[in-house]
Formats: sequence, structure tokens, C-alpha cells
Amino acid sequence: MIKFDHVTKVYPNGVVGLKDVNLEIEQGEFIGIIGLSGAGKSTLIRAINKMHDINEGSLNVDGLEVKDLKGSKLRAYRTEIGMIFQSFNLVTRTTVIKNVLTSFVPKLKGWRKITGTFSKENEIAALDALDKVGILDKAYTRVDQLSGGQQQRVALARTLAQSPKVILADEPVAALDPITANQVMDDFKRINDDFNITVLINIHHVDLALKYVHRIIGIKAGEIVYDGPSENINDEILANIYDNKLPGGREKDEETK
Amino acid sequence: MVLPNGKTVIKPRSNALLVTAIIIIFSLISVKVTGFSFAVLAKRGHQFWFLVAQMFPINTHYLPNIWEPLFDTIKMSLLGCSIGALLAIPFAMIASNNLVHSKIVISVTRVIFSILRTLPTLVTALIATYIWGLGTLAGTIAIFVFSFSYLGKLLYEEIETVDMGPYEAMQSLGLNWIDCFRYAILPEILPYFISNSLYCFEGNVRYAAILGYVGAGGLGLIINEKISYMEWDKVGMILVMLFFTVAIIESTSHYIRKRIT
Repeated sequence: MIKFDHVTKVYPNGVVGLKDVNLEIEQGEFIGIIGLSGAGKSTLIRAINKMHDINEGSLNVDGLEVKDLKGSKLRAYRTEIGMIFQSFNLVTRTTVIKNVLTSFVPKLKGWRKITGTFSKENEIAALDALDKVGILDKAYTRVDQLSGGQQQRVALARTLAQSPKVILADEPVAALDPITANQVMDDFKRINDDFNITVLINIHHVDLALKYVHRIIGIKAGEIVYDGPSENINDEILANIYDNKLPGGREKDEETK
Repeated sequence: MVLPNGKTVIKPRSNALLVTAIIIIFSLISVKVTGFSFAVLAKRGHQFWFLVAQMFPINTHYLPNIWEPLFDTIKMSLLGCSIGALLAIPFAMIASNNLVHSKIVISVTRVIFSILRTLPTLVTALIATYIWGLGTLAGTIAIFVFSFSYLGKLLYEEIETVDMGPYEAMQSLGLNWIDCFRYAILPEILPYFISNSLYCFEGNVRYAAILGYVGAGGLGLIINEKISYMEWDKVGMILVMLFFTVAIIESTSHYIRKRIT
């Protein structure tokens, strides 16, 4: 369980990332986080694996106080939390399988780590992860030969190979076309269903979010302004989250009202 | 400039004319200061051809005496360059502002690189002969110092332009920063690094050829000797061998560099 208790984050330049955030997330939830750019979606997600530090409050994940984690303890904790990025963040000059295998690096010892020699079990686990996202046939292809959707799946396989408890996804479909975006969201849904992995997704496409996730967290200027089932989302709530600057068709609706 | 619909766009003024004028002025000043004279160049120019003519026909009987210093020269550059390249990696890592956040560590490492780079290889070699004695060891050390500083600087500049996305992903996977470098950054920079190292090796063969002048071993030793004896046919033989060696190394390295980048 992930528990935010009065969490506040202020960046060194004075920008407020998170403001008195209180949240409880159970194992296996599928959550979409929506809000304007700069509202604090990224900060919220990155606080969980301590890619960003928090200033005040307590952030507890399965009994561990994240704020106190340092060095090797922090790295051990991070091996249990997956992360997916908007720009995939793969090493493009090398093969798909080598990218997936990097999730086993923390467990490698000595010369194996330096030379990048992985055991057969690791290789099979990596191939298995690729199979789970349906791109097993691309295992020995160089990453820069793949399309954006395929690359995001490689990133997903890299995360699955960690066998994480939680997957944090920071705008995972923002760089993809609508069809590929749907496919990647399907992957997330399947992973969430099949392995009971908690999935937190930052997402700009409200419709896509509503179609897939069970729970929506709306964030505005670092504050949580909505937290509830995705079925209960209506135009009024969205207008509040997006500061009355709604995207697409909804904006016109608002104006005519 | 005014468009048909009345909108105006201000075109930035080109400063090409000013730059050209400055280049011409500085060229004239440097001719004056260095005492460069076309008259002397033209008058004594034929002496060059006279010397070249004296080198031919080259003395092929001298060839057996060249092999050893030639291989010494190649050995010095290869060994110096390899050690320099390997040692440049950890130092370039701590000189990169995207890997290390301590400004002090970064600037100290960079200052070391700059100081070593400003040392002319010939001077380093001379100093090295006083410490480690005459011979190829001194030459190897001189080449090592140059390669280390040159490749180190190129490497940290390369590291700093790398996309940090994969590095961030590796951090989130729980890798420590050295492993993050090894698995996220090294694959991206390795082709350039090998290419630079080969280029450095190419250049070093030429540098190494003159290090013998200060007693640091290699071809320079016999070039110096034969020039002072005015045995131009032997000098010619040495230069021809050097030419072929450099040409072979350059074309091989050029081929490899083209393949990997």
C-alpha cells in the first residue's frame, strides 16, 4: 500500500510541486492522474520511487518510509518499482533484449556486471517479459529500428522483468498515435489484471484515461482536487481540474453554457 | 521587409563583412609581427627541392636499421594511447556535469585535463627522460599524458550531450551511478570514443616519430642523427617508411571509424 500523508514538495526555485497531498493506494489499483502540465502529476509519481525528494509529510510504501531511504537501501527499493516514460528512455544503439536485461543488473556480481554477461535464466526471463507484451520476435532487433509503440512495449517489458509491485508511468502514451496509445493502454490493463501490479499513469488524454482506469486523481497546482472512481467524472469536475481551460470539444460546451 | 499583406519582418543584419575585415587585419598584423617574407620564401625556395633531390634515390640498404625504431615508435603510440584512453574514462565521468553534481570535483578534473593538454608532448617527453631515463618509456609516458588529456576532454563533452533519459530509467531500475553509466551512456558514446581513440593513435604515430629528438626513443633518434650527418639518402629512406606506416594506419583507422559510427 502506498500512503501519502500531508506530503509537500517545493522545488528549490520556489515552484510548488505538491501541496499537502493525502492519498491511499491499495495493491492492484489502476489509477489515472490527470491535470494541466506543471500541475504536479510528474512530481507525485516521481516522489513514490524517490526520483524526486519530498520536503514535508510522510510517504509510506508497504511499511517503508520513502523519505528515509538512501544508497543501497534506496536502490533495492527501486528494483521493486517499475517506471515508464513518455520518451521510452531506451538505449537505442543496442538490441531490445539488452535493454530488457538491464533490469537484472542490480543483481549481477563482479566481472559479469562489468562485461554485461547475463545468466541463461536472466535471458529467458527477459524473453518471457517480451513475450508478455507481444514483441518476442523483436528480441534481437536494434531498438532504433522499432516504432514508438514497439519501443514503449520494450520499456514495459524491461519493467516487467523486474517483477515490480508498482508501475509508475509518466505520460506513457503522449508520444504515440491514438491507435498505438490504445494498444499500450491495453497492455497496462492486462498487466494490472494478470499480475495484480499497482499501475499509476499520468495522462493527458482524459477519454483514454476514463476508458481504462478505475480511479482518477485530479491534480491542480500541486493539490488533489478530485480523487474517486472514474465513473463519477463529469464535465464540472474536469472543468475544475483543468482550470476551465478544457481541451477539445468540451471547451465549446463550457462556453455555450 | 514588407509582405504583400503589410506585415513586416526584420531581417537580421549579416556580419560577414565585418568578420572578413577582422580576419584580413589580423593576417596582416601577423605577417608583420612574425617577419614572414615572400621575398625570402621565393629566393630560398629552391633549397627545399635541392634537399628533396638529395634524398633520392633513397638508401634501401639502410632499411634493416629502421625496423626497430619504427616499431618502437608504433609501440609507444599504441601503448601510450591505450592506457591514456582507458584512464580517461573514469576521469571524464567525474568531469561531466550530468553525472557529478559537485562543482569542485568537476572543475578540478577539468583543470587537470587542461593543464596536461597545454603541455607540448615534446616537453613532456623531455621531462620524462630526466625522470625515467632515455628510451621508449619516456616517449610512452609523454604520449600517454597527451592522449589522456585529449581523449578525456572529448569524452566528457560527448557524455554531456548524451540523452539522459536512459540514465534516468536505469536509476529507476535501482542501478548505482557507475552501472547507470556503464549500461545507459557507454553504449551511446562507445563508437565515438573508439573513433576518437583511433584518431588520436594516428596522430600519435606522427608525434612519436619526433620524440626521439629529445631522447625518448623511436624514429626521431635516427632522423636526428642522419640529418646531422647530412646522410640525406638515409633520411629519405626513413621518411618513406614513416609515410607508408602512417598511410596504412590512417586508412585502416579511417575504415574502422567509418564502420562503427
